[in-house]
Amino acid sequence: MRGTFSIQVQLLALLYLFLYAPIAYVIYVSFQKDSVWPFPPDFTLEHYADLLHLRDFHAALVNSLTIGIGTGLLSALLATIAAIGVLRYASRWRGLVAAAYLAPLFIAHLLIGIASLMFNKQLLGLPGNIGSAILANTTYATAFAFLVVLAQLAKHDWRLDEAAMVFGAPPLRAFWSVTLPLIWPSVLGAVIVSFLLAFNNLEVTFYQVGARPTLPTLAWGELRHGVSEELYALASLINAAIFLFLGALYVLLRTGALRLDYRD
Amino acid sequence: MTEAVLRLEGVTKRFGTVVAADSVDIEIGREFFSLLGPSGSGKTTMLRIIAGLEVPDLGNVRIEGRDVTRQPPYRRGVGMVFQDFLLFPHKTVAENIVFPLRMQGVPPAGRAEALGWITDLVHLKGLEGRFPHQLSGGQKQRVALARGLVSRPKLLLLDEPLANLDRELRKEMEVEIRRFQLELKIPFVYVTHNQEEALTMSDRMAIMRDGRILQVGGKLDLYHHPDLAFVAGFLGAPNVFEGKVTGLADGLAIIDWQGYPLQARAKGGLAVGQRAVCFVKSEKIELFAGTGQGRVDGVLRDAIFKGQYADYLVHLAGAREVTVSGPPRAELFAPGRPVSLSWSAEDGDAFPAGG
Amino acid sequence: MDVRTRRLLFLAAPGLAFLFVFLFLPLVSVVVYSFWRTASYEMIAEWNVDNYVTLLTEGTYLTFLWRSLVMATVVTAVSVVYAWPVAYLIAKHGGRYKLILVLLTAAPFLTGEILRITALQQILGPIGVINMGLTSFGIAPVEALMYSSTATGIGLSYLWMPFMVLAVYLSLLNFDFELMEVAKVNGARPLRAFIEIAWPLNRAGTAIGCVLVFIPTLGSSVTSQFLGGPNGALYGNILAHQFGATGTWALGSAMGVVLFGLSALLIALVVRVVGDFRRSGLTMSGR
Repeated sequence: MRGTFSIQVQLLALLYLFLYAPIAYVIYVSFQKDSVWPFPPDFTLEHYADLLHLRDFHAALVNSLTIGIGTGLLSALLATIAAIGVLRYASRWRGLVAAAYLAPLFIAHLLIGIASLMFNKQLLGLPGNIGSAILANTTYATAFAFLVVLAQLAKHDWRLDEAAMVFGAPPLRAFWSVTLPLIWPSVLGAVIVSFLLAFNNLEVTFYQVGARPTLPTLAWGELRHGVSEELYALASLINAAIFLFLGALYVLLRTGALRLDYRD
Repeated sequence: MTEAVLRLEGVTKRFGTVVAADSVDIEIGREFFSLLGPSGSGKTTMLRIIAGLEVPDLGNVRIEGRDVTRQPPYRRGVGMVFQDFLLFPHKTVAENIVFPLRMQGVPPAGRAEALGWITDLVHLKGLEGRFPHQLSGGQKQRVALARGLVSRPKLLLLDEPLANLDRELRKEMEVEIRRFQLELKIPFVYVTHNQEEALTMSDRMAIMRDGRILQVGGKLDLYHHPDLAFVAGFLGAPNVFEGKVTGLADGLAIIDWQGYPLQARAKGGLAVGQRAVCFVKSEKIELFAGTGQGRVDGVLRDAIFKGQYADYLVHLAGAREVTVSGPPRAELFAPGRPVSLSWSAEDGDAFPAGG
Repeated sequence: MDVRTRRLLFLAAPGLAFLFVFLFLPLVSVVVYSFWRTASYEMIAEWNVDNYVTLLTEGTYLTFLWRSLVMATVVTAVSVVYAWPVAYLIAKHGGRYKLILVLLTAAPFLTGEILRITALQQILGPIGVINMGLTSFGIAPVEALMYSSTATGIGLSYLWMPFMVLAVYLSLLNFDFELMEVAKVNGARPLRAFIEIAWPLNRAGTAIGCVLVFIPTLGSSVTSQFLGGPNGALYGNILAHQFGATGTWALGSAMGVVLFGLSALLIALVVRVVGDFRRSGLTMSGR
């Protein structure tokens, strides 16, 4: 028994190493003069300073953020109301509705990308733009958001708003004062997950945005002749921002300033 | 019963092919009224219809004379105590309790006053700032009751509120809930499948099965004078004897059981020659040491000491086992001992078999 | 239609309409275009099955498809074998750190796919950290790690393994570990207890994990392009190629239809094999 346990621990440690080594490497290289063979280390901050002047990068960052936020909000909204319907109303149709919402999980992104490209261009005559990228990313992101909300709210007691109604709260007031305060963390989770998926997406976004740069398409373009050090720097900054955000969230939760879960 | 506060008229509700309420008529005044029935008998549906959480297919619900059948729950002014309490987990005890007052637009001063009054009544003083997850089961129960009563509703509906409490706490809360009703004079409609709770607290009660009200009446009346075999079998701990009716006289039937002529009150249009079931509550049977003298003979299998009384398990002819409750007697704590039983004819109730 | 169904459909309608217009219709259009023709970068509505004939008769397409299938199978198998003990460890012994531990396996998704692949390339490639390190100690570089199918496999496992961990973990959250004790008390050795109890009760979660790893791997193009080397191209590369340089959209559509058909087939197979999802560990809680 002890044996299997320690093997499991080693496997987990190895998995973390495997998952984080490349990311650590990206961060390491972003501080190095030479990105091709950065040994022995030669630290510099010049790549970060260079970021300030690179207009391409600024545009790409803005585009990626727009796609991420747009997708995050839209898919969390669609997914949340559907998940509430599926969890609350024990209809014969709930399985079918859930299946329809989860189906995009099982479609390769490349296929979603080219399908949207052809549909927009051939049938609707629309050129690609940031808006169509948001719409295309929202398809699969809604599925992920739905999954997150469904898992989070599976234990929510929907009779609480029945209780509120018996005690005199009309439906909207009941939703506002009882349901929403209890489910918003799950909705926020769905927004974050779909934001990250769309923000980092290449295979869907690539076919929608045409010549407009996003961070992943920029990186894709650069891959052929070696990624620039500035991109490493930007990626490190984004990583840092995301980890800071999640870390702050964690601290707020630990200190009790923010409560996600009122169960004991 | 005083004037009716709640009146159900021909209330019917179907869920698919299941009839949860089958033309139910009830009148409830300023009393403690219990709906008692096995699970699936439709009693919770009845409560939800009264609260406005379900709309009946047919029939009317009247509260204080007004037809509220199609009114949403938030306009009915009733209070409710739910089975798993359903306290709002993100609100403190105080916030939970004053929620109904806030919904009614009671100003803060009035809310504070009512909060003080109700926390006194239900003994929750000092816990106002806690969250539900920081409370014990009994405290949660008190908060749920306080929330249900704080606005002095026209009715308080209680849906198996004690089902999730342990036995000792349940005993304590039964007495408390009864006290609240007596003090506030608000009609309580109490749903339960536990006859002990219903018998302890109610003034009147109704027995439900398959969406139908079988019998309504005072609790003693129901207990001692059941109109139907189901009611006779449901209340108390009755022993059942089945046999052929050999004679009828003065409202009493004689039933042949294993050669013994058992006597019981004849109910449900019993006729000579018909098969009948006879119910006798365990505490109505008298137990004698030794056999003979025209009593039903048996062998004592075991005696179970319960403190104030004892349950005697007696083996009769035909592999029949009956339970007799009575005062603990040392000479009867002797398994294997021959005994005999008898009861007075008025303490048995005989109904046509298969009804 | 009863009240519940009406309310459910009312809440689900916006998303269903959205998915219908922006996912279902585009996919249908792919099927339609797969029966058209492309000439000098324009789609021409001449109905034919030439695209499918080309796919089936020109051996290269089948070769790439086969290669992708093998790759996806291997990556999925590796993920199952690796993810199970890890997810089991986290779910059983994670205690209050469970959520953090499992989220840490998902956190790399915060960094874009391209950057992670690039970084992986920097580590595995010929001038990567491993091989340069080996060389500097006078040891021959490991050829298998450089621009090869192995490198692609490592890259794909790297990208999709967290899905498997997550799927198995979520399934194990609903698993009563005491059942394993019961099995052991009744004489089952650990491996036997796993086969008899843990595996069957978490089959559905594992199957979902497999699908979530298999499908993106089957359709992947980026990873193999940068880690696979000149001979490492997969089906996804060739598919993406039709929408890039060659501009043969009709043929690309047919390839897409084949990809979609295989995915659908896989899901049907999984549903068939797993059977009753409820009894095999997937709980759709709620009333």
